[in-house]
Amino acid sequence: MTGEEGRVELRLTVDGAERTASIDPRSLLLDALRDELGAIAPKAGCRTGDCGACTVRVDGAIAKSCLRLAVADDGCEVRTTASMAVGGELTPLQQAFWDTNAFQCGFCLSGMLFAAEDLLERTPSPSETEVREAISGNLCRCTGYDAIVAAVLSCAAPPVRSSRGA
Amino acid sequence: MIPARFRHVAPADLGGCVAALAEGGRVLAGGTWVLPEMSRGESAPAQLVDLRRAGLAELTATADGLQMGAMCTYADLLGSGPVAEHAPLLRTMAGGITGGWALRNQATVGGAAMAARPQSDVPAALVACAAVARVAGPRGARDIPAAELFAGAMRPSLAPDEVLAGFRVPSAAGAGSGYVKLKRGGSSWPIATAAAVVRLDAVGLCTEATLVLGGVAAVPVRIDVSALLGRVVVDDDVRAVTAAVADALPEPWGDVLAPASYRAAVAAPVARRALSAAVADAEEERA
Repeated sequence: MTGEEGRVELRLTVDGAERTASIDPRSLLLDALRDELGAIAPKAGCRTGDCGACTVRVDGAIAKSCLRLAVADDGCEVRTTASMAVGGELTPLQQAFWDTNAFQCGFCLSGMLFAAEDLLERTPSPSETEVREAISGNLCRCTGYDAIVAAVLSCAAPPVRSSRGA
Repeated sequence: MIPARFRHVAPADLGGCVAALAEGGRVLAGGTWVLPEMSRGESAPAQLVDLRRAGLAELTATADGLQMGAMCTYADLLGSGPVAEHAPLLRTMAGGITGGWALRNQATVGGAAMAARPQSDVPAALVACAAVARVAGPRGARDIPAAELFAGAMRPSLAPDEVLAGFRVPSAAGAGSGYVKLKRGGSSWPIATAAAVVRLDAVGLCTEATLVLGGVAAVPVRIDVSALLGRVVVDDDVRAVTAAVADALPEPWGDVLAPASYRAAVAAPVARRALSAAVADAEEERA
């Protein structure tokens, strides 16, 4: 497995495509995705697990890719936010973020979109409290969060519980 | 990229992990604490012994409680029927972990225990549940009660060549539990936690009472609440047994989150709220 200059071969399925790369074994999953596989949807923010900008799904579960060794995820299936829109068609959640101005610079989107998608899968009609709880662990320095919360609530399946003053 | 070079091994069983650790290095569980330390250059082990392929994520009901592997994540706890039935305190604790679901999917109870951080939710909760750790090492396996698992801040009582395999947690079915955490904000570590377990008999007399504080000292602090035993517990009783909680803290923990004097001051009200919640929960269990 160990190759030239101590590099190792990594096999990942990234957004549906089987990929291999020769990586430095010190690479975090985030480093391997961005620097070796060109998957740049996850962003490198804090690199300490605090900001959520590097969020991906690993074998279906949302995860912060700066908290994972790439070699330890060999053989896993990774999804980034780049796989959400198919054929340029935004998902309803992405469209809601667009419509409510829920992002400005977009750096936090991997964390916010995956946290929201994950919440809506488990809890189709979340309360505002549940939305705020779900996106905790993700830092946005642009919006002040209210627009993000509004975007997620607008995707709640009926019956929608009152989000304010409930 | 982690700056220092290291060797990564992920043995397929516990014995392989013990054998690997005999050559030195550091154990890797969920990665949420060890990897950032390495990324920041604060830790540079020559070897990482990764537990993820060692089959240590079991979470099952046993004859008298739970068997919980060291690699169980907070998400595993939250999704587990046996945890809800036998260790509701751990479920409540897991549901309040800071960092959202991405963290809950990755961070492990065993990893948090071995990090032994005073500001962590996990150590005091394990002590309150009377969990017993199973550790494996080159001299064989041994059990360590959670109350003896924390030797100091960031210092578990395992030998450097021992690996935490998991925990046995005695069933708290039928008992009431309460868990209260004080923190600065949504994404802050806890400043003070209190975990309480109370059991009442058929006529409402207290037969079991446990109260353990976290965050307020280097290691979890058990508070003597034996005065509640044999009584119908009322608010004044709870107030009485928690009034002098600060006296049980000869050296309150202080750090960037809060100075020791603050932690000493908040310990009693946090303790009181958790114990009150456990009594109320126990009354519901009895009803």
